[in-house]
Amino acid sequence: MTQQEFLEAIAEALDCEMELSGETILDDIDEYDSIGVLSLMSYFDELGIKVSPNDFEKFETVQDLINLAGDKIDG
Amino acid sequence: MAKLHFKNASIRGIVTTVGDKKVTIDEEASKFGYDEKLLKRVKKSMGFNSRYVVSSEDICTSDLCLASAKKLLSGCNIEAKSIDALLMVTQTPDYKAPSTAIILQDRLGCSTDTIAYDINLGCSGFINGLMSAYSLIESGLNRVLLCVGDVASKFAYEKDKNLTPLMGDAGSAILIEKSLSDSYFILHSDGSGYEHLIIPAGGCRYPCNEEALTPKERGDGSIRRDVDMYMNGAEIFNFTIKVVPKMFDELLEFAGKSKDEIDYFVLHQANRYILQNISKRIGVGSDRLPMETVSTYGNQNSASIPGTINGFLSDKYSSKKVTSLFAGFGIGLSWGACIVESKNIFAPAIEQYKI
Repeated sequence: MTQQEFLEAIAEALDCEMELSGETILDDIDEYDSIGVLSLMSYFDELGIKVSPNDFEKFETVQDLINLAGDKIDG
Repeated sequence: MAKLHFKNASIRGIVTTVGDKKVTIDEEASKFGYDEKLLKRVKKSMGFNSRYVVSSEDICTSDLCLASAKKLLSGCNIEAKSIDALLMVTQTPDYKAPSTAIILQDRLGCSTDTIAYDINLGCSGFINGLMSAYSLIESGLNRVLLCVGDVASKFAYEKDKNLTPLMGDAGSAILIEKSLSDSYFILHSDGSGYEHLIIPAGGCRYPCNEEALTPKERGDGSIRRDVDMYMNGAEIFNFTIKVVPKMFDELLEFAGKSKDEIDYFVLHQANRYILQNISKRIGVGSDRLPMETVSTYGNQNSASIPGTINGFLSDKYSSKKVTSLFAGFGIGLSWGACIVESKNIFAPAIEQYKI
C-alpha cells in the first residue's frame, strides 16, 4: 500500500475527518483517545504488526505510525 | 492443552435476573465527567446506553441467583432436593468465607447431600462453571445447578469513568442434567496478565485498610479506591483480539465442526466494540453473534452469556434444537469456549429483580 492509502486507512480506523500527514501531531487529532488507540491496535494487528498499548504512549506524530507500518508501505 | 469432550450432559434451563434499577448513560454522563462529544463517542463505539443495577447495597449476587434458581426449578418442574451439586461462579460472594454456594444450598432448600462450592472467576466464569458442571454429570451426578453472576456495583467505583458505565448487575441459574449429548470445551489461563483486571486490595496480599479505602485520581483519568476493580481496557482489548479468534479455530477443529454448523455464537458481552471486532475477524454477523447486551443491560460478567440468551434469544432457545458456541474471556487472564447442543430448553425472557 502507498503512504497515502495508509494515511486514509488510519483516518478511517480513527473515524476522523481530518486530513492526516506525517507531521500531524497525534494529540491534535480529537479521535486519538483511548478508543482511538484500540482502533489503531486492531488495524495494526490486522496488518500482522504487533504493537502494545504502552507503545502508543511514546508516539508523538503520525510519522511514528508510518514507521511502525514499516515495509507494509511501499509507495 | 485443556480440551474436554463430554457425552452425557446438557443444559435443560437458563434463567437470568438483572438489577431492579435501570440507569442510562445520558443521566450518568455528568457524573463521569463526559462532555457531549465523548458521550456521543462512547454511545456509538462502545454501545453505552442503559444498564441495570441493584438499587440497594443489601442486594447481593446470591439474591439475584436465588430468584433465578427458584424460577428455573419451578419452570422445569423439579424439586430443589433433587439437585446433586450447586456451583456458584462469582467475584462478589456474600462473605469472604464460607462459599456462597453453601448458603444458597440452604436458602434454596437443597438437601445436605448436595456438593456446593464457589468458583472465583469473572468474564470466563460461565465456561469454567459449565465445564465443572458437565464434568460432575459425566462423573455420575444427575443434576447440577450452576449459578453465575456479579453485582458489579460492589466493585466498580461510582466515579470510575472507564469501568462503571460499562457494568450491569445480574445473576443467572442454569440447570445441567444427564442426557446423551456431545459437547466440546477448551480452556486457557495466563496469570502473567493478572494486573490488567484486578481488585488490588481486600485479599491477603493487600488487606483492606484506610489506604485501600481512599479514593484517588489515577493515571487513566479515573477516580477509584484500591478495593475497587481496575481495568486496563487497551491491554484487555489487545489480549482479546489475539486469543479469541484463534480459540474458535482450535475449538471448531476439536469438535470437527464448521462455522456454518453453529446456530449462535454467544460471547461474553464485554462491550460492543470488542464484539464487532471479533465478529469481523471470524466473519460471523450480528444475526448469529449477538452484541447488544451491554447497550441494554451492561456487562454482566459471568452472567453475560446466559444474560444474552434470556435477553435476546429466549424464543429461539425455548423452541428448537440449537448448536451454540459460547466463549468467555477476561479477568485472570482466563479464556475458554465450548460447543454445546440444546433442545427446547426453559429459557424465559430476562427479569428485573423484585424487592
